[in-house]
Amino acid sequence: MTVKECYDAIGADYEDVMGRLRKDERVQKFVLKLLDDKSYELLENSIASQDMNEAFRAAHTLKGVCQNLSLTPLYQSASELAERLRNGQEFSEDMKPLLEQVKKDYTHMIDCIKQLA
Amino acid sequence: MFNNTKKFLLTSVSCLVVLCIVIFVWLGSVMGGKSYNAINEVGSLYMSEMSTQLQQKFDAIIDLQVSRVEALIRRTPPESVTYGKEMLEELALSADIREFEHLGLYRKDGGSETIYGESVRFLSEDEFQDVMSDADKSITSGFSKSDEKLLLMVVDAAYPMQDGGTSDVVVAGMPMKYLEEALVLEGDSSMVYSHIIRKDGEFVVRSGDAFRDNYFSRIEETISQNDPKGPGHYVDELKTAIEAEENYSALLEDKNGIHQHLYCAPLDETDWYLVSVMPYGILDDAIMNLNSQQQGLILAACGVILFAVAVIFVLYYRLTQQQLRELERAEKRAFQASQAKSEFLSSMSHDIRTPMNGIVGMTAIAMANVDDPLRVQDCLKKISLSSRHLLGLINDVLDMSKIESGKLSMNMDILSLREVMEALVNIVQPQIKDKNQHFDIFIQNIYTEMVCCDGVRLNQILINLLSNAVKFTPKEGRINVYLSQEESPVDDAHVRCHFRVKDNGIGMSEEFQKKIFDTFSREDMKVQKIEGTGLGMSITKVIVDMMGGTIEVDSKQGKGSEFHVILDLEKATVDEEEMILPPWRLLVVDNNEDLCYSAASALKEIGVQAEWALNGRDALRMIADHHRRNMEYEIVLLDWKMPDMNGLETAREIRKIVGDALPILIISAYDWSDIEDEARAAGAQGFISKPLFKSNLYLGLSRYMEGDTREEKREETVQRFEGLRILLAEDNELNWEIAEDILVDAGFEVDWAENGQICVDTFEQSDLGYYDAVLMDIRMPIMNGYEAARAIRALDRSDADLPIIAMTADAFSEDIQRCLECGMNEHVAKPIDIQKLMKLLRKYLG
Repeated sequence: MTVKECYDAIGADYEDVMGRLRKDERVQKFVLKLLDDKSYELLENSIASQDMNEAFRAAHTLKGVCQNLSLTPLYQSASELAERLRNGQEFSEDMKPLLEQVKKDYTHMIDCIKQLA
Repeated sequence: MFNNTKKFLLTSVSCLVVLCIVIFVWLGSVMGGKSYNAINEVGSLYMSEMSTQLQQKFDAIIDLQVSRVEALIRRTPPESVTYGKEMLEELALSADIREFEHLGLYRKDGGSETIYGESVRFLSEDEFQDVMSDADKSITSGFSKSDEKLLLMVVDAAYPMQDGGTSDVVVAGMPMKYLEEALVLEGDSSMVYSHIIRKDGEFVVRSGDAFRDNYFSRIEETISQNDPKGPGHYVDELKTAIEAEENYSALLEDKNGIHQHLYCAPLDETDWYLVSVMPYGILDDAIMNLNSQQQGLILAACGVILFAVAVIFVLYYRLTQQQLRELERAEKRAFQASQAKSEFLSSMSHDIRTPMNGIVGMTAIAMANVDDPLRVQDCLKKISLSSRHLLGLINDVLDMSKIESGKLSMNMDILSLREVMEALVNIVQPQIKDKNQHFDIFIQNIYTEMVCCDGVRLNQILINLLSNAVKFTPKEGRINVYLSQEESPVDDAHVRCHFRVKDNGIGMSEEFQKKIFDTFSREDMKVQKIEGTGLGMSITKVIVDMMGGTIEVDSKQGKGSEFHVILDLEKATVDEEEMILPPWRLLVVDNNEDLCYSAASALKEIGVQAEWALNGRDALRMIADHHRRNMEYEIVLLDWKMPDMNGLETAREIRKIVGDALPILIISAYDWSDIEDEARAAGAQGFISKPLFKSNLYLGLSRYMEGDTREEKREETVQRFEGLRILLAEDNELNWEIAEDILVDAGFEVDWAENGQICVDTFEQSDLGYYDAVLMDIRMPIMNGYEAARAIRALDRSDADLPIIAMTADAFSEDIQRCLECGMNEHVAKPIDIQKLMKLLRKYLG
């Protein structure tokens, strides 16, 4: 599986990331590092412990990473979640669907990347 | 209110005037009275002194005369004489020597004998008896036979008399004139004249104009009835005083209105009274004079005070009136302002409600037609239109409130006029296309493309003007934008830029042109149905003012409007990249001569040999001509919209003459996506967008003639960062690695700080000048980017002002603002755009 195939499977923008990072190997290197990235875990743990400020930061980081690598689906859902969590609001029911979406996108993305590895 | 003040002032001033006059008149009369009293007192003193002197003099005269009579008696002592001729002759001789008028012997029983002179008739027999019996008294008066008034001295002496008896007294007579002369009772030299009267009022000595025999009757007749007490009163008083032998002093007024001072004192050794009279005519004159002088002075003082009061009053009145007028003006202004605001509010609420209603209504329709995707799509389109409009309104209102609260600020930046114009074209293009209007941009005499200016605000000005032009110009109308430069009167570092936006739309009335830049104004009625807040022009005006420029409007109703903005912009000091192209032979084809001229001169500056043609046929002729001479044009720039023969036709004809070898580039101010296929089919190689700035031409020509030369250039510049050190604060490992990768590629040495605190500590512990720049993520644990930037700036190190560039996924303007407030130099949005980052780094490090 090539990096481009992996990006297509995720629904991410390969052209965009190549425009920025230029080398296929480099993109692959970073994408694989995502497997070790702790941001998503931090997000889940923070939500569980009701630390909304930390949850926001985690979502924000996730968003930043995805943006850097042009991983559009997770970038979008993480953005929405980050906006909802901005200003340290308390956890409420309407955050759940956003969280679900992030979880879905993240899981799907990780699955695809694992295939690449 | 105005009248009330006037009334109050008038009343108070007239009261003041009356009070003033009353006080001064009273003062004058009191002063007059006082001086009159003082004169009286002085008069009294003088009179009593005078009287005393006269009394003394009288006494002396009487004593002298009495002693002379006694001497006469001693010469012929009564004891040693016998009555006879001898005694009579001796006495008569003595009397003659002594110049007595009369000498006689008298007895108390009435017997008498005249020895010398004529016989005498006593004025009063009773008085004579009284004098004879009283040893202290020795003077009386009488008349001689010839009616001469005599002063008679009565001295005790017992001479024998003719009838054999013995006389009791010798009486010697002197003419009364002697007494008068001696006393100087009369004379012009003295103000005072005196009478001597008897107790019953009969005159003894009479002087002045007195002719009556009795002084009392004189008083009654000469004293005016006007005298408050009446003449009788004085007579009574005088009689009483005489009875008691006291001095008497009184002030009288005679029939001629002249005041007289009367002073009476008893004379010793007689029953007589000395009456001194001083007519006050002279004194009265003096007093009158004094009084009139006083009155005059008082009047003058009064006048001065009144004048001063009047002046103060007038000044005060003027002041009040001025204040009142100002108050009225301020009130009017406030009223107008509030009216304008309330009008604005009502039109605003209407303007806001309209799109809002649209949104609500469309949402409802969409809800009802969820199953009909076409319908829903239509609704959504309309909703998005309305929302955009609403957003525009809200932006305007917010801008205005910023302006009104004075918070509008300028962010000076280096910008390219070319980019500004291009952005402008891109933004208004859709609107122009919708209304099928003719749009063109003309540039001329561009000295400097790069200037220092607030790009956002400049855009706002131009977009405002241009979108107004589009709004108020009917379909198929014409809108032109002109940009030209000239030397600035400010200094050499500035360039004067003229931006003109001209349309042939509905125009404006003269009255409206005057207030077009006022807040909340909009020409009413026919413009009502055209959207807008009426804030655009006032915002534009404020921005132009803040940039130190001017904006003018020239418009005629029905003919169109022209807005002319003049700004003195600072020339950017950045080195413009050297733009030199090979000396290609190039032909510009455009129906606008100005455009051809400016394009040709711009092309010549970048080394291209340019010629131009004003229409397709001329162009074809020139191309054919060059073709024949084997001096082919190497490039043709062709305007798309030309009258007579348009760009499409011309391109086809060119291809017929020279085949496919000659590159044809289309110049157009429009979005060329519509015409791209057609143009390419007709043989056009590419496009260059208007306006034809030097840089535009350079980039366009080099791109199409040599491929993308910029790519190679960038690779070269990337190598320039060898050996520079960057401290990168980024909490996420992955992001850090990506950034590191890119930066190391560009030759940087990069150190990682996992959060703000570490970043600050690392920097603090580094050697001076070790790091060349800091790249700062904003959202980090422990210490965020804002705090870290502040902490670094606060460090006491000479390199604490190194460039700090923020990197964040938040691209809100407040975030950018906050970054700058915290002391960071720049802000780049994630994902990291290498080119932009490099450009920034070059700016700070290159």
